[in-house]
Amino acid sequence: MRGKDVRLDQVSIRFGDAVAVQPLNLTIEAGEFFSILGPSGCGKTTILRTVSGFIEPTIGRVLIGGEDMAGKGPNERPTALIFQNLALFPLMSVAENVAFGLEARGVSKAERLKRAEELLSLVALTGYGDKKPSDLSGGQRQRVAIARALAVEPSVLLLDEPLSALDLKLRQHMRAELRAIQKRVGITFIYITHDQGEALAMSDRVAVMSRGRLEQVAAPDTLYAEPATPFVATFVGEQNVIRGTLRRISNGAASVDTPLGPIEGREVGTPAIGAPVLVMVRPERVTLGADRDNRIPVTLKARHLEGPSVNLECVADGQTLTVTLANGPAMRDLPNDLVLGFGRDDALVYAEGALANG
Amino acid sequence: MASLFRAYGRGLGALLLAIAALWILALILVPLGAMIEQSLWWKDSKGEITLQIDRLYNDMATLQLDASGESDAAKKAGFEAQIAQKQAEATALEAQETNPPKTYGLANFTRMSGLHFYIFIRTIIYALMVTALALVVCYPMAYAVALASGPRKAIVLTVALIVPYAINELLRVYAWLMILDYRGVINGILGWLGMVDLDNRGWIPFLENPSAVFLAMIYTYVLFMVFPMVNTLETLDRNQIEAARDLGASSFRIHRRVIIPHAKPGIAVGCIMTFMLSAGSYSVPAIMTRGQGGDWFSQLVYRQFFESNNWNMGSAYAVSLLVVCTAFILIMMRLFGVGLRDIAK
Repeated sequence: MRGKDVRLDQVSIRFGDAVAVQPLNLTIEAGEFFSILGPSGCGKTTILRTVSGFIEPTIGRVLIGGEDMAGKGPNERPTALIFQNLALFPLMSVAENVAFGLEARGVSKAERLKRAEELLSLVALTGYGDKKPSDLSGGQRQRVAIARALAVEPSVLLLDEPLSALDLKLRQHMRAELRAIQKRVGITFIYITHDQGEALAMSDRVAVMSRGRLEQVAAPDTLYAEPATPFVATFVGEQNVIRGTLRRISNGAASVDTPLGPIEGREVGTPAIGAPVLVMVRPERVTLGADRDNRIPVTLKARHLEGPSVNLECVADGQTLTVTLANGPAMRDLPNDLVLGFGRDDALVYAEGALANG
Repeated sequence: MASLFRAYGRGLGALLLAIAALWILALILVPLGAMIEQSLWWKDSKGEITLQIDRLYNDMATLQLDASGESDAAKKAGFEAQIAQKQAEATALEAQETNPPKTYGLANFTRMSGLHFYIFIRTIIYALMVTALALVVCYPMAYAVALASGPRKAIVLTVALIVPYAINELLRVYAWLMILDYRGVINGILGWLGMVDLDNRGWIPFLENPSAVFLAMIYTYVLFMVFPMVNTLETLDRNQIEAARDLGASSFRIHRRVIIPHAKPGIAVGCIMTFMLSAGSYSVPAIMTRGQGGDWFSQLVYRQFFESNNWNMGSAYAVSLLVVCTAFILIMMRLFGVGLRDIAK
């Protein structure tokens, strides 16, 4: 098996009058673990179905390995899709499920059962071939679906939120497993999810989508540290959002007037002076103490113990600010009046724009 | 039963049980029992006894004549004795004639004539053919209705299927009669096109062919085949179809390996219903053939009851049909690998 690159060239998809995907260009490298992250209804599943061939783009081209896929059905493309509900065939045995793609290709029975057994061992399910999918646990079914998709030796594996039905523990385990399988087989994975944790944990690169548009395509670390838009900033991870007016920019440093006092931050994009802006500060970048570039006196409202960390819910001028701090003895008896501090690099200043949660 | 009482309380539980028992008794046990009982006995044919009685009276008349012409008292007494004996025999036979004794046995079942047995077998084969044809016709239809994209399309298809069923069955059969008749719609059109010569009775005799009955029957019972199939097909996860296609399967393979196995219980129920209805259908063959296309077994049963007035024979015929139909159900269930539980679903 060898991965192929996937290119969306000015692809736009419409259903009647509704635009599901705005024209976009996207290149996914061969052998990459690529995630498309976004809230439900953002068009990510539409893109996946376009790549797999269930939907033809209204305009634009889909190229896989440099080859134009126009007019090719899902059964003619070098892709395999893993469905959200897995869509295993309940009346076939596990081995028949895995071998189905080979059966469709006319591979002899002995040959395909042998191949199914190999694939089952790849996903650590040796000896489960005779069972029915309903006899397996959620995680095992997951792996059967992966083996079934890999059986047709696809160049691109498409995964449509396949972990969403699993419980938290299993989900975390399967993340590592998926990543390991991808490394082992070396093909391109395109992974659709609304769970930023999954996207960050597994991917080489992540595309964030909102309302049919690509917001940002970047490596997980970049995405978290340098979100390109207010939407990405608030969708990926937690943010404290402080509204204000941009007073001054010099060399990327921005000074903002806010109801909580002046804040020194770092500009992202090109907000105009005098325009309304959003200042974003991650809860874990905020500390207690007055020795930082920015200081905001607040009242402690509530304290939520997470175990290794503590979330403090503070209020200043009617606005709630959240702080995540490492747990320790100092966290047990906090005074009601605190001063929050953060560096100028921790505060990102964006032009007013859509946020992830309203 | 204990759980029934626990769930509904003693009073309501007992009521539910009583209703169920009444249901079973009134709708299953009593009618079926009466039919089977009726089929297991017969009364000796009246014809033979009447003949015997007639013969005895003839003999008596002859003896009387002999006696009146006889002068020897001893001989005359002998004749008188013979007359008395015959009279006693005749009286006994007459009693039997008005109230013949029942004889229990399986003779009603073994007495079927060769012709009737042929019709019986032919009816079963015809019913199987109707079932098979209905299945072929209905599967694509059920598939289209169940997996129709968009709710509006599904509604249109469903209404189109149900509307004909708002019309009385007899009217629908007569409608087909009018279409297929000698001077019916089809022959009329063919005549208008100059393809048949109606004036010289050159029409195509559709109604004299069993396929006319097949056609009307399929039309009449289509719904019973379609609905169970639609019900099971609707529960099919469409992702499975897409998954199969994505894995490279052709449409034929998707149907064979994914859709039909899923629809099996519905197909089995549809086949069972259609077979039962067509094997037992009276009105459709009676109207469509008008006695010209060969009887179906149900018509024979009817005649045994209402024309030969032999209810025992009629019952035996009906029970035979029931047994074969039941066997068919069991075979279908075995063939499709479905249990009663699947069908009840």
